[in-house]
Amino acid sequence: MSKPHSVIRQTITTPIVLIVVLLAMAALTYAFGSRAFNRTAIEMFINIMVVVGLYAFVGNSGLLSFGHISFMCLGAYMTAWLAIPPVMKSITLKGLPGWLLHTQLPMWVATPISGVFAALFALIVGRIIMRLSGIAASIATFGLLGVVNNVYSNWDTVTGGQGSIVGIPPTMNVWIGWLGAAVAIVIAYLYSISRSGLALRATRDEAVAASASGVDIVRERLIAFVVSAFIIGLAGALYGHFLSIVNPGSFYLRTTFITLSMLVVGGMYSLSGAVSGVVAMSVLIELFRNLEKGVSLGGVTVGLPNGVQEIAIGIITIIILIYLPTGLTRNREFSWRGWPLQRRLAPSVQTALKEIN
Amino acid sequence: MTAVLQILFDALSLGSIYALGALGIAAIFGVMRLVNFAHGDFIAFCVFAMLWPSIDAAAIVFAGRLPFYLLIPLLLFIGAALSMLSEVVVFRRFRNANPATMMIASFALGFVIRHLLLMLYSSRPKSITLWPNLGLPVEFLGAHIPMLQVVTIIITLAVLAVLVLFLKRTRFGLEMRAAADNFTMARMLGVRANGVILLAFAISGMLAAAIGLILATNSGTADIGMGANVMLIAFIATVIGGLGSVPGAVAAGFLIGAASVVFQATLPHDARVFRDAFVYGAVIVVLLARPQGLFAPKSAKQRV
Amino acid sequence: MSLLAVDDITVSYGRLTALRGVTLDIAEGEILFVTGPNGAGKSTLLNAIAGVVPSGSGTITLAGGMITGAAPEEIARRGFSLVPEGRNVFGGLTIEENLKVGTGMRTDRKKIADDLDSVYAEFPMLAERRHTPAGMLSGGQQQMLVIGRALMAAPRIMAIDEPSLGLAPKIIDQVYEILMRLRAQRKLTLLIVEQSSTRARMTGGRMVLIRGGRIVLEGAAADMVKDARLKQAYFGFGDH
Repeated sequence: MSKPHSVIRQTITTPIVLIVVLLAMAALTYAFGSRAFNRTAIEMFINIMVVVGLYAFVGNSGLLSFGHISFMCLGAYMTAWLAIPPVMKSITLKGLPGWLLHTQLPMWVATPISGVFAALFALIVGRIIMRLSGIAASIATFGLLGVVNNVYSNWDTVTGGQGSIVGIPPTMNVWIGWLGAAVAIVIAYLYSISRSGLALRATRDEAVAASASGVDIVRERLIAFVVSAFIIGLAGALYGHFLSIVNPGSFYLRTTFITLSMLVVGGMYSLSGAVSGVVAMSVLIELFRNLEKGVSLGGVTVGLPNGVQEIAIGIITIIILIYLPTGLTRNREFSWRGWPLQRRLAPSVQTALKEIN
Repeated sequence: MTAVLQILFDALSLGSIYALGALGIAAIFGVMRLVNFAHGDFIAFCVFAMLWPSIDAAAIVFAGRLPFYLLIPLLLFIGAALSMLSEVVVFRRFRNANPATMMIASFALGFVIRHLLLMLYSSRPKSITLWPNLGLPVEFLGAHIPMLQVVTIIITLAVLAVLVLFLKRTRFGLEMRAAADNFTMARMLGVRANGVILLAFAISGMLAAAIGLILATNSGTADIGMGANVMLIAFIATVIGGLGSVPGAVAAGFLIGAASVVFQATLPHDARVFRDAFVYGAVIVVLLARPQGLFAPKSAKQRV
Repeated sequence: MSLLAVDDITVSYGRLTALRGVTLDIAEGEILFVTGPNGAGKSTLLNAIAGVVPSGSGTITLAGGMITGAAPEEIARRGFSLVPEGRNVFGGLTIEENLKVGTGMRTDRKKIADDLDSVYAEFPMLAERRHTPAGMLSGGQQQMLVIGRALMAAPRIMAIDEPSLGLAPKIIDQVYEILMRLRAQRKLTLLIVEQSSTRARMTGGRMVLIRGGRIVLEGAAADMVKDARLKQAYFGFGDH
C-alpha cells in the first residue's frame, strides 16, 4: 500500500503549517500579551478546536450541522462532573451517582474522558440521524441541539439547571490551548486522509457515483460524526477548565452560529479554512474590542460606541461572503504545493453548487 | 370539556404564530432556496419600531400610540420595507452562492439587526401595552378564552385566506408559484426573477410584522430575542411540512404548536420542563419517517 | 436577415468545455435540427441561447438585438421560447395555470384568450383536464403541455430540446405532426434538438451535427442523411 503514503506526502504540509503558525501565535501571546490578551488567545484556540471539529463533519460530508455545539455542552458538563471537588458537587449536583460524586480527576484525565463521552453519544444518536441527508439531516441536528439544551437546562439535580455550575479548576493557559488546537488539527487531518474521509468527500462531490461504487454513505458519515464529536467534546472540556464555570446558555444558538460563521468565512471544505476563519474572526473581534475601548489620538481618546463591534463584525462577515463565497481560503489548503486532491475536486464542487441553485 | 376547549385554543393560537412564521420562511425559501435566519430579527425590529429609540428602562411608545387602523398598515409597511431592503442590499449578491453561504449571510444580517436594536434600545425588555382590552377573557362554551387568542386565530385565518387568494387568483401569485416550482423554467417564460424574489421578501416581511404585533400584544413586552424562538420553530416547520410546500408549512406550524401544548398538558409534572426536548425529539422522529416532509409537493426533488 | 444568429460562442462548466466556437443562424420561418451524440453540447447550446448558462465568449443576436449575457427572462421577452429537456412542467400548477405563466410578458393582451382557445383546440386533451395539476399528466401529455405553454408566450422562435425523449413512437409522430402544423399556421421558426437524425430526414429542413462541442457537419437534412460522412461524423470514425 503505497498510496496512503503518497497522500500523506502530498498533504502533510497543511497541518504542519497550521500548527506551526498557531505555535508562533501562542508564543507571541505568552511573551508579550496582557492577561486579557492571553484569555482572548485561549478562547481563540478553543474556537479553533470547535470549528476544526465542525469541519471534520461538515467539510467532509457537505452536510450542514447545527447540532455540534451539543457535543461541546456534553464535554463541558462531563468535565464539570469529573473535575469539580466532591465537596462542592455534593451541594450543587446532588443527583449525580455516588461514584461520580466522589471522584475528582485532573484535567489531563477528565478532558479525554469528556471527549470519549461526547463521541459515544454521537455514535448512538448518529446511528439514527445519519440516515437522513440534505436539509432533513441539518434539521435533525438542530433537533439534537434543542433536546440536549433542554435537558441540560432543566435537569436541575445533575446539571444545575439554567444556572451555572462553578468550581472547575481553572487550569487553562495559552500553551494548553495551543496543544488542544494542534490535537484537533491532527485528528481532523488524519480523518480527512483516511479511507473513510476520502470516501465521504467523494460522496459530497458526486453522491450518486460514490454510492454506485460501493461507498456506504451512512457509515462514513457516522464515522465523521463521531470523530468530530470527539474533537468538540475535548473543546467543551477545555472550555470548562478555561471559564471554570459551565452554563447551558453558552452551548446554544449563539455559539452554534458564530462557529458556523467562522467555518464558512474561512472556507467550509478545507482544514485551513476552518482554522483561518477562526483566526480572522478572532482578530476582528479583538480589533473592534480595542476600538471600542478607545484609541489615543494626540491626547484625545476616541472610541467607538458600544455595540459597534458586533455590528461591524456582522457586516464584515457579509462582505467577505459576497466577495469570497467559498471563504477566505476558497476551500483550498495552505501548503507550498497546494493540496492536489482538493484542487482537483474544487471545480466539480463549484459546478455542483451552481446546479443546485 | 372546558379543559379540552382551553387546550384547543391554546394549541390553535400558538400554532397560528408558528404557522405565520413558517409562511414567512417558506415564502422566501420557495423562490430562492434561502433559509432566512434573520427572520426572527425582522420580527423584533417591527416590534421595536413602535418605540422611540432610548436605552431607558421605561419605553417611550411612539408609533405604538397610533390608532390600530394606522398602526397595522404602518408596521406591515416597515416589515416589508426592511425585508425588501435586505434583499436588495444583501441577498441579491448571493444569487449564485451555495445554500450554506446564504444561510450564514442571513444569520450575519440578523446579528447586525439585533445589535443595532441593542445599541438603540439596550437589552432590557420593555413593557409595551398596545390593546389592553384584548387581554380580557371571553366566555366560550363555558371556557374562558383570552380575547387575544381568538383574535390571533382569526387574524391568522384571515392572513391565510388573503394569501391563498393572492397566490391562486393573481398574476403575481401565479408567477410566484411557478417560480417556487421551477425557478429557471419560470424565468424562461419571462417571469422576472428579481421581481418575484422581491415580492416574496415583501410578503415575508409583512408576516414578520404581523407576528411582531401579535407577540407584543400577547406578552406586553418588547424583547430583542422575542423573534428568535418563533424563527426556530418556523424553520423546523417549513422542513417537516415539506420544503417548498406552503400549505405544508402552515400545517406543520399548527402541528408543532399543538404538539407543544399537548405535551405541556399531558406530560407528567416532573417531565414538563422537558417539553421542548419531546417536541424536538418528535421532529426527529417525523423526519426519520418522512425525510421529504409530511406534505412534500409531488414535484419535490431533492434540491438541497 | 437571420432571426437568430449565434456567432462563435464558447461555454465551459468549470474546466470542462462544452461548446467551442459554435456559429449558426436561423432565418425567419426556418426549421433547424441540431443533432449529435450524447454529451455533444446540444442542450448547452440551447441553454446558452436562452441565457441559462453564461457563454464564455462569442455573441448571440436575436431579431437584430444583442442578447449575449442577458437574463433568461429578458431573452424570453424578446421572443425566444425554450422547451427544455425533461419538459419541466410546473407540477403543482394546473394545466391552465401552466399555460398562463408565459403570458405575463405579452403586450397583445387581447389575443391571449384567443390563443388559449386555439391551444386547447390543438390539444383537446389539455382542455378536458384544464384544472388538473400538471404533475398528474403522462409524459406525452406533458410534452403537449409544454409545447402549448411555449406557444402561449407567442414566441418568434421556439426551441425544443429532445421532444421525443422518453416517448412512445406513436406519440412522437403526433408531437411532430402538431409541430409541423403549428409551423405552417403561425410561420413559427423552430430550433429542434434531437439525438438522432431520423426525424430531421422525415421532416426536412436544415440540420447541423454537433460533436465534442463543435459543429462538424451542416446542410439540408434530406441530403445529409444520404451522405456517408454523417455516420462518420456522428460516431467520430476517422478525422475531419
